[in-house]
Amino acid sequence: MIWQFDLPILTLIVICGAFAILVKDLLGSAIIFGAYSFLMCLLWTEMGAVDVAFTEAAVGAGVSTVLFFAAVHRTSREVRSRKSGRKLYKGLGLLASGILGGILFYASGDFPGWADPASPAATHLSPHFITRTIAETSVPNIVTSVLADYRGFDTMFETAVVFTAGLAVLILLRIGGCRTAGPVWQTAAAIRPAYGDSIIRFVTRQLTPFIQLFALYVVAHGHHSPGGGFQGGVILGASFILLAISYDLNMAMNRINEKAALLLANSGLLLYAGIGLLCLLLGANFLDYSILQRILPGVDGVAARSHAMLGVEIGVAVTVMAIVMLIYNNLVSNGTYEKGL
Amino acid sequence: MNGFFIGAGVILCLLMILALYRTVVGPTIIDRMMGATVIGTKTTILLVIIGTIYGRVEMFVDIALAYAMLNFIVTIAASRYFTHHKNITGAGFGVFGRVPKRRAKR
Repeated sequence: MIWQFDLPILTLIVICGAFAILVKDLLGSAIIFGAYSFLMCLLWTEMGAVDVAFTEAAVGAGVSTVLFFAAVHRTSREVRSRKSGRKLYKGLGLLASGILGGILFYASGDFPGWADPASPAATHLSPHFITRTIAETSVPNIVTSVLADYRGFDTMFETAVVFTAGLAVLILLRIGGCRTAGPVWQTAAAIRPAYGDSIIRFVTRQLTPFIQLFALYVVAHGHHSPGGGFQGGVILGASFILLAISYDLNMAMNRINEKAALLLANSGLLLYAGIGLLCLLLGANFLDYSILQRILPGVDGVAARSHAMLGVEIGVAVTVMAIVMLIYNNLVSNGTYEKGL
Repeated sequence: MNGFFIGAGVILCLLMILALYRTVVGPTIIDRMMGATVIGTKTTILLVIIGTIYGRVEMFVDIALAYAMLNFIVTIAASRYFTHHKNITGAGFGVFGRVPKRRAKR
């Protein structure tokens, strides 16, 4: 923690948060949220939470602002509010949030200090994770081993939450659109040169393979550096969103259509749960990877845990990628898959 | 040496205030985009500076790379948005939440 950075960054975050609410232009609000995300990423980094910062970076730069833009594109740029009874509701809302904020502020005094070695979290579990990770899993990045091994249940259900969010968007928006058959197959050359922006298309076409390669690196290198399934999956999904924005929604949908995206989203989660089930079938607990040494040739229990973590991360990445794409495609086309941004 | 990097980082943070002013005040959406993009560029540099201060720059450079690769998607999305919609100047929207009488045209 570097206090010289804390003060300016925290001040800027508060300014960003306040103005994101105050500005009535929703596009402007979305952009201010983007700046807020940059500053939050800086704050996480400066506190040493590198994996959290990476997630913030991938989601904030690649996906969230674009999703806001897609939603504004299909709805309205204005904030609309009813006139009748506004004063009363505003007053009640202010009172409620004031009371809640006061309670939260009061309760925050009970938290242990930052990086307090005597705090409950740092006295029981953390020493085990910090001292035993290398010996038990041979993974240098403790965050990855905690996320995918020690706390594998949490991560599996987090992936399930992402999956459910994608399904919810699909159910809400696709009902009206499911009568249309979806896009027909087109080659990249046949796509209508709608706006004549060959520079953007050329740059995007050249850059997309590198973005996807970087995403695969993030997934595979999560054992040794910050990164992992969530971050890599979001970057992969963002590369497809980039294609859909710079060309056409059809172009991205031709690469991975709705059926394939749903199949990928399912199979990623199934891969995660399947590895857990495999452990169960071999006679150990659910997600107890060390038993996998019986079927993986030439590895001991420690290496088996490391390899199984990679499998789990791949499952997470596939699910997140497919869900990010599905959410964008449905938001931007109102569920019809006909015209993108 | 750390003092140099901390100083450089703090100066970058303070310079961010100028970009943030443009982002929150506007008045046009292009101003906001420019401001947010400048903040993104400074963030990329600051990430590497913080990594240097902690002495683990190889851990932090991945995040900076992700920003460098993905930061322009929002700009392209905005340009696409304004090929479908008018009112690029944000006329009709008040700066700090006051909506003037002349309503915005989509």
